[in-house]
Amino acid sequence: MLISCNKLKSYIKNSSDIDWLNIWNTFTIRTAEVEEVREVGNTFDSVVVAEILTCTEHPDSDHMHILTVDAGDAEPIQVVCGAPNVRVGLKTAYVKVGGHIDGMEIKSRPLRGILSNGMCCSGREIGISDNHDGILDLPKEWVNGTNIKEYLSIDDIIVEIDNKSLTNRPDLWGHYGIAREICAITSHELLPLEVEEITNDKKDLDIVINNPELCYRYCGLKLDNILNNKTPLDMQIFLYYVGMRSISLLVDITNYLMLELGQPMHAFDSRVVENIEVGNANEGDKYTTLDGTMRTLTKDMLMIKNGNKYFCIAGVMGGLDSEILSDTTSAFIESATFNAGSVRRTAVKLGLRTEASSRYEKSLDPNMTDLAIKRLVYLLRKENPDMVIASNLTDIYPNPVSEEKIILDKKTLNIYMGRDLEDSQVKNILETLGFKVSITDDSIEVIVPSYRATKDIKIKQDLIEEIARIYGLENFTPRPLKLDLIPTIHENIFDQEYGVKNMLATKYDMHEVNSYLWYDTNLLKEFNLEINNVQLIGKETNNILRDDMSLSLMNIVNENFKNYNNFEIFEIGTIIKNNENKRVLSIILANEEKQLENVYNKAKDVVKYLFKIVKNKNICFVNNVNEKKYYDEALGKNIMLDNSKYGEINVLNKSLTNKLSKKKCVVTIDIDFDTFVKLEKESKLAKETSKYPTVTLDYTIILKERKYSDLKTCLDEFKSKLIKSCELLGVYENKYTIRYILGNDNRTLEQKDLQTFKERFISYIKENNFEIIE
Amino acid sequence: MEEKLINLKSNLESALKSVSKEADVLNIKSEYVGKKSEIQELLSGLKNMSIDEKKKYGSLINSTKKEMEELVNQKLEDAQNKSNVSFDDSTEYALNKGSLHPVTIVAKEVTDILKRMGFTVVSGPEMESEYYNFEALNVPKDHPARDMQDTYYLNNGMLLRTQTSDNQIHAMENYGAPLRICAPGRTFRNEDLDANHENTFFQIEGMVIDKGVSIENLLYVMQQVLSEVFKSNVKVRLRPGFFPFTEPSYEMDMSCLICGGKGCPTCKNSGYIEMVGSGMIHPNVLKAGGIDSEEYTGFAFGIGLTRLAMMKYKINDIRVLNSGDIRYLEQFEID
Repeated sequence: MLISCNKLKSYIKNSSDIDWLNIWNTFTIRTAEVEEVREVGNTFDSVVVAEILTCTEHPDSDHMHILTVDAGDAEPIQVVCGAPNVRVGLKTAYVKVGGHIDGMEIKSRPLRGILSNGMCCSGREIGISDNHDGILDLPKEWVNGTNIKEYLSIDDIIVEIDNKSLTNRPDLWGHYGIAREICAITSHELLPLEVEEITNDKKDLDIVINNPELCYRYCGLKLDNILNNKTPLDMQIFLYYVGMRSISLLVDITNYLMLELGQPMHAFDSRVVENIEVGNANEGDKYTTLDGTMRTLTKDMLMIKNGNKYFCIAGVMGGLDSEILSDTTSAFIESATFNAGSVRRTAVKLGLRTEASSRYEKSLDPNMTDLAIKRLVYLLRKENPDMVIASNLTDIYPNPVSEEKIILDKKTLNIYMGRDLEDSQVKNILETLGFKVSITDDSIEVIVPSYRATKDIKIKQDLIEEIARIYGLENFTPRPLKLDLIPTIHENIFDQEYGVKNMLATKYDMHEVNSYLWYDTNLLKEFNLEINNVQLIGKETNNILRDDMSLSLMNIVNENFKNYNNFEIFEIGTIIKNNENKRVLSIILANEEKQLENVYNKAKDVVKYLFKIVKNKNICFVNNVNEKKYYDEALGKNIMLDNSKYGEINVLNKSLTNKLSKKKCVVTIDIDFDTFVKLEKESKLAKETSKYPTVTLDYTIILKERKYSDLKTCLDEFKSKLIKSCELLGVYENKYTIRYILGNDNRTLEQKDLQTFKERFISYIKENNFEIIE
Repeated sequence: MEEKLINLKSNLESALKSVSKEADVLNIKSEYVGKKSEIQELLSGLKNMSIDEKKKYGSLINSTKKEMEELVNQKLEDAQNKSNVSFDDSTEYALNKGSLHPVTIVAKEVTDILKRMGFTVVSGPEMESEYYNFEALNVPKDHPARDMQDTYYLNNGMLLRTQTSDNQIHAMENYGAPLRICAPGRTFRNEDLDANHENTFFQIEGMVIDKGVSIENLLYVMQQVLSEVFKSNVKVRLRPGFFPFTEPSYEMDMSCLICGGKGCPTCKNSGYIEMVGSGMIHPNVLKAGGIDSEEYTGFAFGIGLTRLAMMKYKINDIRVLNSGDIRYLEQFEID
């Protein structure tokens, strides 16, 4: 929102004491964020009022004229001008020779052979409007030769305030509210607004509110004999500086009041107004707004109706038939308050955010509506002294807002502030902000002004905010908390996640990725997969939440295959399964197809290592007949511990792998991290090492048609007190080398012990139909 | 004979000089002092000599043999103590290393700092109910934050959390007051992607509840955290802000590290950079968490971890963070 400092000054007593360029740094830390402070009007000098005395056509131009002007000097001055609106008697703005516009010096110089001394200017040329249709048309009574800055407030400071930081401050959506805030910050006095009181000795207008819960108040007034519809230059400049176009006095003055008070208003041509009815639209009705767009209404949209026809979308935008026309002399003035949420929803639904709707959706003060009308009458009267008030100020206000009273106990205030404040200081701060304050021994009773009561001041903490910010947030000292030295609650999910991530990245040189909570639907289509899971509402693509973490990472795998033949990535993230959040660790090993066996074994190693190191648990793998068709049917493994499943190892099936990249393999690990975190670490006790030497025995066993798992089962069932460990040492083709470490903790093994073991073992293996190389 | 013995010894010396490997020395050993060596033959030949000759040469041959044996053994020892493996000691291979995601690194840094200050790190769900994401956090039904344009609603009646503040309620419910928690986590906003906007990003929430917690305590904690994160003595300033779940609410700015507070394009000439949303916990939020707001006060804050990571590593395009592109991600060391 743009703010004119000239306008603010007009509401503040002794405003010249304030440093208007620098006050905005303070405003930022007291009230709301200022985005820019810009000086305007300083782009020109030596521009004076001048009257055209003579006007003749330029002999060598089809549009230029040769003028003589009276610029207050003894002699008339000759100027060549190309503007279409030149005429004898016109008073306009004239830059003297030696003066500047936009940093350019104006000199005497010939224009198509005729000497031009100085220049007549349009509003745009001196930066006070965007009008370049002709040179300025200044009032007759202005004295020739007078600097125009003496008549017009052209030098100004324009401040841009971040709208978002005003979200919670309906009172700051107009200049008067900002001025009130500046007064509180600088301890100045706010001047009352000049208004024209209206005596209600005429007839009421026909106004009905059907939905008092959506329209809190509706004020109407009829004004006749508005003959001058020309906006005074000062108001035009103000509107231009704060970003609005000047249209005509009646329209401009409603905009002016919106900018001054924050109260959106409407002026209708009263020739078309029969009666006003505020009520909801019928579902599906069509209505064309002022901008010429046909809009479809819904039944929850609040409308202003006139003679049973739609007239206005309440708080958002009017219609074509309500427009002020060039021959309008009688106006119906509307000043109303609507429910913030209702206006916002309507504006959002129609995609039509207007200056009015953005103010209404902040929860405006209903007590502002009649003030705005009285102010409008005052301002309009200045330009139309013979204007006639043609009706009562008709005020439909079904449920007037009641006074809000809040009791703030000093104890709470002092806790928040971290210090004790003087009563007088608290009283002073609150009163400059418009609160009524009475202070007792231990509490502060506050009556909230209605312009703060609609939204942001409801509880005592809201008052503390007011006190703290005007007291000055920069006056707070950072102070450490003094708390009891007690251990905090221990929740170690984050630590475990980090620990596992760190291990995967450091021990296995893997790369951590972050992805999305939803599947890439393009990839699912590519994979010809239909996944049924929770969906995002209102989205057509990437709308299916992931229930298989590894599958969801395949688009990342796809991208990386473009640059790498082999890589390993992981993520710990959320999946949504059976309508519940689940944390999953997914590890993906991608490599060339011929490496499948190595990669698959590595995947098992990683899982075993993870459970061993982090939890001191020995997991095992059990074949998993995969229901998920996108994984290889035969190579699925469940990760098992004490008959519970902790995750899966899978291999992406060949056809999908081929879609990612040819001659590759993709091995996936998914570990249920919620249960992994909950898994208690197996405690460890130190074990003495044996004093007696051990003996190593290697056997090579040939597997024909059978798998290692069969051999493993067989080996597991072979018992001997001498066995310290039994491990698979290596595999060459179908030859599996097993290493036994044998020993006895109480004595050195003798040859006969070994002989007995060997004989037993070899015959056991043979009995189980394995071939052993002796 | 004397000459012969001298020759044998000097032949041995020169033979030893020309070799260095253990195996070669062993060959020389067997040739010169082994069972079939010349000196051994001379020694064996002693028994056929006359007594005089025995007297004359016996000790000489023996001592020569001893000297020769010593020479060989010395050489042998030298050879064994010298490494016999040789290789090109100048080779260097490419470094194989993994990487952690930059957000993980920053989350670890920030949580470590908070842990040192006595905060517990907690985690919360990404799919959340309207109650925990909005209602309990004092976000009214009509609030714009609840709009479909900003929030991902799900067809099971849930939503994806729009901030980590849901953890405030979970933590109060789980642990009660007093409380010091922080909660790093992933959050979601319905936004179109560009270099500065992501629909999926990380935040960290912090919350302290105790008796007598003040605005000044909030200021202190934030100043400490930011100073530690940026490893310099940063100045913070509070500005009035607005969040439904805190009252008063503050935007916390940090002195610009680029210009030191003088004003530069990075801080839009203000000398400050907006870093943290914060405030004193709204009584309605405490109430939703079952805590008596007359007895306890507290503060809460939220910092954008994704944004912090982008500042720390000067990442220009937010989209690379969720791209999974190893070429980009592999550069992030494990801090």
